[in-house]
Amino acid sequence: MKILVIEDDSEAAKYLIQALDEAGHVSHHASDGETGYAMATGMDYDVLIVDRMLPRRDGLSIIESLRAEGDHTPVLILSALGEVDDRVTGLRSGGDDYLTKPYAFSELLARVEVMARRSSPSEAETSYTVGDLSLDRLARKVVRAEEEIILQPREFRLLEYLMKHSGQVVTRTMLLENVWDYHFDPQTNVIDVHMSRLRAKVDRGQSVQLLQTIRGAGYMIRD
Amino acid sequence: MIKLRQIWRTTTVRLTALFILIFVVFSVVLLAYMAFQSSYAIQQQQTRDIDREVSQLQQTDANQGIRALAFAVQRLASRPGPGIYYLGTDVGQMVAGNVANFPPGVLSAAGVYTFEYDRERVFGEAPPQQRGQDVEDGQALVRTVVLDSGFRLVVGRDIVERRGFTAIIFGGLVFAVIGIVVLSVLAGGLTAMRVLRRIDSISATSQKIMSGNLSERVPMTRRNDEFDALAASLNEMLDRIEQLMKGLKEVTDNVAHDLKTPLTRLRNRAEAALRDDAGDEARQQALETTIAESDQLIRTFNALLMIARAEAGTPSGAFADTDIGAIVRDVAELYQPAAEEAGAELITEVEDTLTLRANRELLGQVVVNLLENALKYAIRSESKKGEPEPIVNISACSSGDIITVMVADNGPGIPESDRERAMERFVRLEKSRTEPGSGLGLALVAAVARLHKGTFTLEDNQPGVRAILSLPRRT
Repeated sequence: MKILVIEDDSEAAKYLIQALDEAGHVSHHASDGETGYAMATGMDYDVLIVDRMLPRRDGLSIIESLRAEGDHTPVLILSALGEVDDRVTGLRSGGDDYLTKPYAFSELLARVEVMARRSSPSEAETSYTVGDLSLDRLARKVVRAEEEIILQPREFRLLEYLMKHSGQVVTRTMLLENVWDYHFDPQTNVIDVHMSRLRAKVDRGQSVQLLQTIRGAGYMIRD
Repeated sequence: MIKLRQIWRTTTVRLTALFILIFVVFSVVLLAYMAFQSSYAIQQQQTRDIDREVSQLQQTDANQGIRALAFAVQRLASRPGPGIYYLGTDVGQMVAGNVANFPPGVLSAAGVYTFEYDRERVFGEAPPQQRGQDVEDGQALVRTVVLDSGFRLVVGRDIVERRGFTAIIFGGLVFAVIGIVVLSVLAGGLTAMRVLRRIDSISATSQKIMSGNLSERVPMTRRNDEFDALAASLNEMLDRIEQLMKGLKEVTDNVAHDLKTPLTRLRNRAEAALRDDAGDEARQQALETTIAESDQLIRTFNALLMIARAEAGTPSGAFADTDIGAIVRDVAELYQPAAEEAGAELITEVEDTLTLRANRELLGQVVVNLLENALKYAIRSESKKGEPEPIVNISACSSGDIITVMVADNGPGIPESDRERAMERFVRLEKSRTEPGSGLGLALVAAVARLHKGTFTLEDNQPGVRAILSLPRRT
């Protein structure tokens, strides 16, 4: 993926670019708003990572201009401002996701990759399939190896989200935000227990373990 | 010291001046009216007297003749008093009476006349030099009657009484006005001074507070007047400010201590890992721990920020209609599997439509904190044999305008003396010191409760702890 990072803190930018490189992406860097905007409009990027506070032009205004011009490149907003109002303002300006500093790189990477795929169509797919597991969104039915798996509503939503992003890392925070619609920070491993229950229903007795734990990052479903 | 000019400029003085003015005007009008009425009454009385005498004398004249009339007139005229009598011709030749000269016209025709006269000239009294004192001009009210015989009969009164009366009234009026003005000025001045003193004491207290002494309070008397009310609410505000300042100091103190401790730990571990004899394994471990500790630090810091903002009254986000029942249900459902894994039973009881104006994120965090705490306490109790199975009850219900969220556990409980402290920042009660957590959970709940104008209390669940969060539907 081609990624543009607009970040004025050179230390943070260097770290980010290097990590993205190691993850197999091509990243460019702009250290102020004006340059960033010029680069974003000049070239096609798969994802933009934009810091909110930038010299010469702030991040949100860049996003607003891009959207006004019809540019729908997915944007991840980075900011030290983490209050709900700040998140809402950021997303309303046209950002697709919002990450508070300091962040774990695995979190950022997972979100970036999820965002990139989202830009391609098929938002309204009626079913997902991974290996011999299929999930019918309309009928709310899950079948694996010809056998139906009965899931609680929440478990269904959990699996649905994972399968929507099959092959991609999904972090615990992302799950909390998208499956439970909350932004708090749980002290305990609540999500893990839900995942292990889901895994028990989906993977038990199967030769292939579809639901995987990615150490230090989150979870993934893939065949 | 209160300067005269200060007093002069006060509202009290202005009001007093206005009051004096109104009162004086009113008094003058009243007294003038009374004077006029009385004067008029006296005049009426005199007129009646005159008429009565006239008809009596006319009767005498008709019944007994002119000589009897003359005697009667002379008798009346010799009496001391304000009476004026004359019986004589139309040109001034007196037969009986006590008048020497009339102004022209009085004797010509019948009628009622008032005129001023020179007492000495009219009454033939000794000249003023001999009498050696005041000579007033008299004022007479007379009635002239033309008798059948052609003689003139004049009966009248010197209205000296009336004049005397008017003088009294006037004197009284002047005295009263002067008295009122003087007393009012005094009273107004004293009142203004008193008011100024109260206000000055408030100003002085403010100055003292601004120069650093936050524990000063505006002095109050026991009079319970409007100044005391003002002082009371100012003191309340000062209490709140002092509390906020204390809170701020606490936060900075806590930040200094409770954030520096893990930071020091981090540093030490990193330093240890850098030692030459540390192996790769150890280094890997150290780095991983560093990340974990940093994460915990960040969480602590964010929690502190949230609490500080909630306490200062500026929530992290707007207030909107929020269904707290749904929040409780969601959080309970989120924690259900974790509770089961740990062997605890989680019982949820939520009423429908528990909406209130609130901040959803803060409420979510609060319910999570309460539930995590309760699970922690309850599960700890499971280690002993024969102990009851850990149970946590979480419920949300409403009663009138108050919505109550209750989270109860059957763990070891918190001793009463510690319950208040448990809600403070960074307080980890003895038993939980060794477990993960920042000690900020309940502090946030308390701050959020205050922010939503509600209350948060910890009670004895016998056994265990019952945390009760009460929020009004409308703020």
